[in-house]
Amino acid sequence: MTWLTPWVGAIAAAVAVPTLLILYFLKLRRRDVEVSTTLLWKKAIQDLQANAPFQRLRKNLLLLLQLIVLGAALFALAQPQFKGMATTGQRHIILIDRSASMQSLDETASGGPRAVQRLDAAKQQAIELVESLRESNAFQRDKADEAMVIAFDSTAEVVANFTSDKGALTRAIEGIEARDSISFMEEAMRLAQAHAPRRVVEGQAIEGLSLAEPATIHLWTDGAIEDADRVLPTIEKDVKYHAVGLEGAINLGITSIRAERDFENPNRLSVYVSISSTDPSARTLDVELAIDGVVAGVKSVTVPGVAVLPAPAPTEDGEAAPPPERSSASTSGVVFALNQPEGGVITTRLRTGGDDDPRVDALRVDDRASIIVPPAKRLAVALVTRGSLFIEAALQGLPLARLVTYTPEQFQTEMDQGRATQFDVVILDSWLPRTSAGETLPPGRWLVFNAVPGGTLGLADGGEGESALFVDWARDHPVMRGLVLDNAVIARSRRVTIPDGNPIAVLAMTSVGPGIAELITPEARAIVVPFNIAESTWPFDVSFVVFTASAVTYLGADISDPSVRRMLRPGGILADQLPPGATEPVLVEPDQRETSLVLAPDRRVTFGPIRRVGLYQIRWSGAGTDPGAIRPLRTYSANLTDASESDIRAHPRLVLASRTVAAENEGRVKDRRLWPWLLLVALLVLMFEWYVYNRKVYY
Amino acid sequence: MLRTQTISRPTSIDDLLDGRLAARIAQLDLASKKIFAGKMKGERRSKKRGESVEFADHRPYVSGDDLRHIDWNIFGRLDRLFLKLFLEEEDLSLHVVIDASASSDCGEPNKFIFMQKAAMALSYLGLVNYNRVAATAIGGGARAEGGISGSIRDLRGKRRTLEMGSFLCGLTPEGSTSFGEAAKRISLTRRGRGVMVVLSDFFMKEGYETGLRLLVGRGYDVFAIQVLSPQEVDPTIAGDLRLKDVEDGDMAEVTISAPLIKKYKQNLAAYCDQFRLFCARREITAITVQSDLSVEALILDYLQTRGLLR
Repeated sequence: MTWLTPWVGAIAAAVAVPTLLILYFLKLRRRDVEVSTTLLWKKAIQDLQANAPFQRLRKNLLLLLQLIVLGAALFALAQPQFKGMATTGQRHIILIDRSASMQSLDETASGGPRAVQRLDAAKQQAIELVESLRESNAFQRDKADEAMVIAFDSTAEVVANFTSDKGALTRAIEGIEARDSISFMEEAMRLAQAHAPRRVVEGQAIEGLSLAEPATIHLWTDGAIEDADRVLPTIEKDVKYHAVGLEGAINLGITSIRAERDFENPNRLSVYVSISSTDPSARTLDVELAIDGVVAGVKSVTVPGVAVLPAPAPTEDGEAAPPPERSSASTSGVVFALNQPEGGVITTRLRTGGDDDPRVDALRVDDRASIIVPPAKRLAVALVTRGSLFIEAALQGLPLARLVTYTPEQFQTEMDQGRATQFDVVILDSWLPRTSAGETLPPGRWLVFNAVPGGTLGLADGGEGESALFVDWARDHPVMRGLVLDNAVIARSRRVTIPDGNPIAVLAMTSVGPGIAELITPEARAIVVPFNIAESTWPFDVSFVVFTASAVTYLGADISDPSVRRMLRPGGILADQLPPGATEPVLVEPDQRETSLVLAPDRRVTFGPIRRVGLYQIRWSGAGTDPGAIRPLRTYSANLTDASESDIRAHPRLVLASRTVAAENEGRVKDRRLWPWLLLVALLVLMFEWYVYNRKVYY
Repeated sequence: MLRTQTISRPTSIDDLLDGRLAARIAQLDLASKKIFAGKMKGERRSKKRGESVEFADHRPYVSGDDLRHIDWNIFGRLDRLFLKLFLEEEDLSLHVVIDASASSDCGEPNKFIFMQKAAMALSYLGLVNYNRVAATAIGGGARAEGGISGSIRDLRGKRRTLEMGSFLCGLTPEGSTSFGEAAKRISLTRRGRGVMVVLSDFFMKEGYETGLRLLVGRGYDVFAIQVLSPQEVDPTIAGDLRLKDVEDGDMAEVTISAPLIKKYKQNLAAYCDQFRLFCARREITAITVQSDLSVEALILDYLQTRGLLR
């Protein structure tokens, strides 16, 4: 048992006990009674007082009871408590995970009928910790424990700064709401460090020097933290990991969704859905696919059970074997093949059955995922050349809607008349269109051969160079994927350099410098091949044909596939550029709540952070609509689709960068406070005293 | 102990002495361990050798003796002078002293009424037997003169009973006792010798010793009857009280508890013991009675066994 405020109790006892005894001598309100003589009474009183001054007190049950009452109250004042978790630290940092996995429902430990959401359980435990903090009192105003509360998902937010106000802390904790995003802890840790009180030297707070008193970090999470291994708590800080949730929690969730149109026949749409399960036994479930809210197909899929790892045998020297590593969640996938030339919102949903039953599926957020599919569209491509056999030949095999060849003069005329925007991609061969001063390229998508776009954001031309070879290329870039450039020999290379700070990605490096570059300006996007391909062996290689096709598709896809922009991650920001003529944009959230957005001069709108998964829509008035769209409306989809967040099994240990923290025993979070019981005892004794007094006086 | 709440005071002699008791006590007579001389020839033999016809003794003549009492027959035989002593018959004086202070007017039954009844019975007994009867009331507050609030004396014979009754009925207990002063007055003004009965609770702040010493000094045979109320012997009060002395208004704050009651009883017993011891040393017969005792029992049992009556 410990005493939180022993000195207060001692001082109060030193004052109150003698006061009670004195009051007992100074009892008031005596009843007047006339007697024949006071002779014998006075003698009796004198005798009693003279013989034993404390005899009267010792034998007085009423006084004894009052002393018990007072003692109980004084003990309560000293705040005794049975040691639960030691609250030795003066400062506590409470980190509460509010990510999607914290919305999981867990069966209550007692097997109660109601499942408890992890975030609610975490909040409850955190409030219990707050309640057990040492309070200040009249004598030790600065001795109170302080705590700050940080809620984190993909971003972190200080909901209560360091304070000893339990009411404020409790309100802050209760105000934390779950979000549908994944959890990152590093920012929360940085916030905690940033808000730690500074050491004050001569009245000046010193930045970077926190107070010597160590702060205890209390972390409530289920352990599904993406960057746990990057979190480096400072040495003096004690990290207590309160694991929330069950280690065997069962969840089925969509971890990824992708829609692709067939390259040959764009009308054919394939939707890939991958599903993960943490159920130890195999589960068969239905996956439902809906297009614009209309169910278009249901497929049954069986997800195998999670492999159970055998417990490792104890080591020979008798040490406890390390607990087995977690087996990863089992996954399965399903593919829907659709004939869907139109675009739309494709929503997939897992039919797990047993709504809100944590034994079937503990987390509902990841049971649904949507994707925005653009209508099937073939590209319109313009080739501006004075005659290039290689490029024309390479473009022959592409399934294009339209391919028009212009001479530079003709295309410049088309541009001047504003008709160039009808082409999705323009291929420039040895020619660059006229630009205003400083501009790299006019708005549009460009594939540039044998020219170097300059301007403020462009490349710096260093003239022709000697022969060169490709030495390296970005193999994971969509344009360069699968290309082998080893055989290409460039007879006359072009020396280009990238000015510092320009947003240019080098896709392929030759022995003299960048050989292929991707150039992005606010209005334009271009892939630039600065050397003359006719002066190289590359056009004779199959990789040239593949490169041309990939580049055109890549550049065209960037404009024609709005789904790239219209897929959101919870915790991220919705940022988009509305078509010309749009005014008064309004965002409709998944719960149909409407928010007016501010339209920037360049017609950009932003909204964030995205908190819930689901479909977001931006409506606007005005003339402008998207090409092919009927109504001034854009739909965005926010999905969780995160494998680690869907794996809701609570982690028994949290591996941080500097150490491994084991989960705390949950039953010991709260200190057993004794003072309310002492006050109850005082009350009961007081009632008993009243009874005794009445018996004594009237009996 | 507590002041009597409602008192029906005796108004006539019938309230003080009923006929049955009167008949019974008429057969008794006062007695004394000493036989006292009186002024008149009474019906009893005196210890003093006197002039009666009953021979008592002889003694040698000394000069100054009355020549009339010389036994000449012995002188003739022995040639020496002897005086012939006779037993003298004389009457007995009965003096009843009653405490009429406020403290007597307490208790249930009222102590003062008990004292009045006892005084009446004793006086009647004295009057019937032709003794000289006197009564003095001490105490009485402002009306008192030298500690005495009233007295009656030199009553003799049954016909004076009414007079004694009206005196006793006319007493009102009030004020405080100054026992010493009253005893001094009594001892100075009394006539003759005899039996003195003092009826009081003897709760006197200044002490009863001086008074009793004065009363017994001139050879009176003093009977001290201490009358206590049952509430004084066994207090029934409880709680936190402020006790007020009815005589002098003195206050005592007490919290009644078992130890205090026990201590009070011890003190009372010690007080009574000391009173009896004091009386025994001075040949005063002390009796302590409770006011719930019947007067008949007091007269017939207590006083007879202690030699006041025969």
